[in-house]
Amino acid sequence: MQASVIAVAVVFIVAAALLVAVVTLKWVHRRRVKRSNSRRAQYIRLISQHLADPGSVTTLTQRQSEDDAFIDAVIDVRNTVVGSSVDRLDGLVDRAGLISLQSARLRSRFPLGRRLRAVVSLAEIGDISAADVLIEHLSDHEPEVRIQCARGLARMHHTPAIDEILERFNQETPWVRSRYADTLQSFGKTAAWPLAAFIRVNHAHADNVGVPEAARVLGKIGEREVGPEIAELLYTVKDIEVGVAIIECLGDIGGHAALRPLRRTFMSDEWRLRAKTATALGEIGDPSVSPMLYMGLSDPSWWMRRNCAASLAKLPGGIDFLYDALESTDKYARDSAAESLADTGELIESRVRAEEGSAEPRHLRLIAHMQRTAPVPS
Amino acid sequence: MSDKKRILIADDSEVVTTLLVTALEVQGFEVAVARNGQEAFEMGKDEDFDLAILDQLMPGLLGNEILKRWQEEEIALPTIVLSGVEDDELVVKFLQIGAVDFVRKPFRLAELIARVNMHIR
Repeated sequence: MQASVIAVAVVFIVAAALLVAVVTLKWVHRRRVKRSNSRRAQYIRLISQHLADPGSVTTLTQRQSEDDAFIDAVIDVRNTVVGSSVDRLDGLVDRAGLISLQSARLRSRFPLGRRLRAVVSLAEIGDISAADVLIEHLSDHEPEVRIQCARGLARMHHTPAIDEILERFNQETPWVRSRYADTLQSFGKTAAWPLAAFIRVNHAHADNVGVPEAARVLGKIGEREVGPEIAELLYTVKDIEVGVAIIECLGDIGGHAALRPLRRTFMSDEWRLRAKTATALGEIGDPSVSPMLYMGLSDPSWWMRRNCAASLAKLPGGIDFLYDALESTDKYARDSAAESLADTGELIESRVRAEEGSAEPRHLRLIAHMQRTAPVPS
Repeated sequence: MSDKKRILIADDSEVVTTLLVTALEVQGFEVAVARNGQEAFEMGKDEDFDLAILDQLMPGLLGNEILKRWQEEEIALPTIVLSGVEDDELVVKFLQIGAVDFVRKPFRLAELIARVNMHIR
């Protein structure tokens, strides 16, 4: 009996001690955050004073320069202003030795959290003097550090970094590669030719895991000048994933130069290449491919039929081809054409016309087709 | 009563208000700050200001709602909208409901001060 009372008392004391410890830690943490916020506000005032009256802030103590709250304040102001104020802020950052301090922290053997804070600071401040250390750490052993380095280089629009990032593209993990892709996209048209060169060199190579991502980024950047160069690659591409990505890219930037190689992939034995080609042809928007897309409505692949119909709906005069397909002997062609016409609002239009008595035979054919294929109510 | 021109800054961002207060005070203006939309509306209604700098996205009332209410109350306070909104139609709307200018965030501090001087002259 006495032993059990002692056990309960011990449990109670331990629980109470733990509770006190947790409450104390929370209190200390809140106090630290409050103090840090207060110092950050003071630094924002100091930086504002420097921007408003450049001669007014002459000295910064070492302690201020090393304070994380000062770095936070610099980043906050850096994200608020542009133009000459940024140059003035950079002057202050130089005087505080912020870049060399954070670079040293990044190079150190500190725990990941501390190094990440350093690299995020360098990325956010976006000062060009940090470019070398960020490029150096594109080969860091920590993926988060590598991603932040690439982000920082893009933020300072340091174009030599494009090649450095692309050099590492094939070796990276899918996660880092996709973040690198976002970074390359933020470089905009400057990255278009390096990306095109990367795709050209690697597209037929066994080690080409980065090519599909690079092609998608290139398409998103939308630089049409590189379209013809990418279009030529369709004649030599072997890997289906790479082919699909290049075709998708050509839909965005290929233009007329892409029509000839796309006519070839439209006849491919691989249904994914055919289906992607059908979509790309619709994106390019040249109505000369309409008869070919009409043929594609009878393709064995459901995706291909659907994509051909959707592309026809986008092309000038394509709607007429879809109405013609309603008279096809191929049931699948009729279905995919009717579905696409319904998606574009032609079915509603046909019904309105029918009610008003102004419907043409093709409108009535569409209504009849949809009534025949409508699911039976349960 | 001071001879200084009075400016109302309405923005919930501490960085923006600190920057503007410091820069405008250096220029010799007297500055008051509202941290939310309701406070901004009431200060604009109850106190005398020569100019207001108004953010769009604030707790309480949005910038365009404040402008509209000031217009309804016939408060003629020249207002510069300082906002990160990308919607061009909204920018046009600001000018239609009484704003004298629009400056996009992130902003050029020197340019904003020049615009303040131009409108307050």
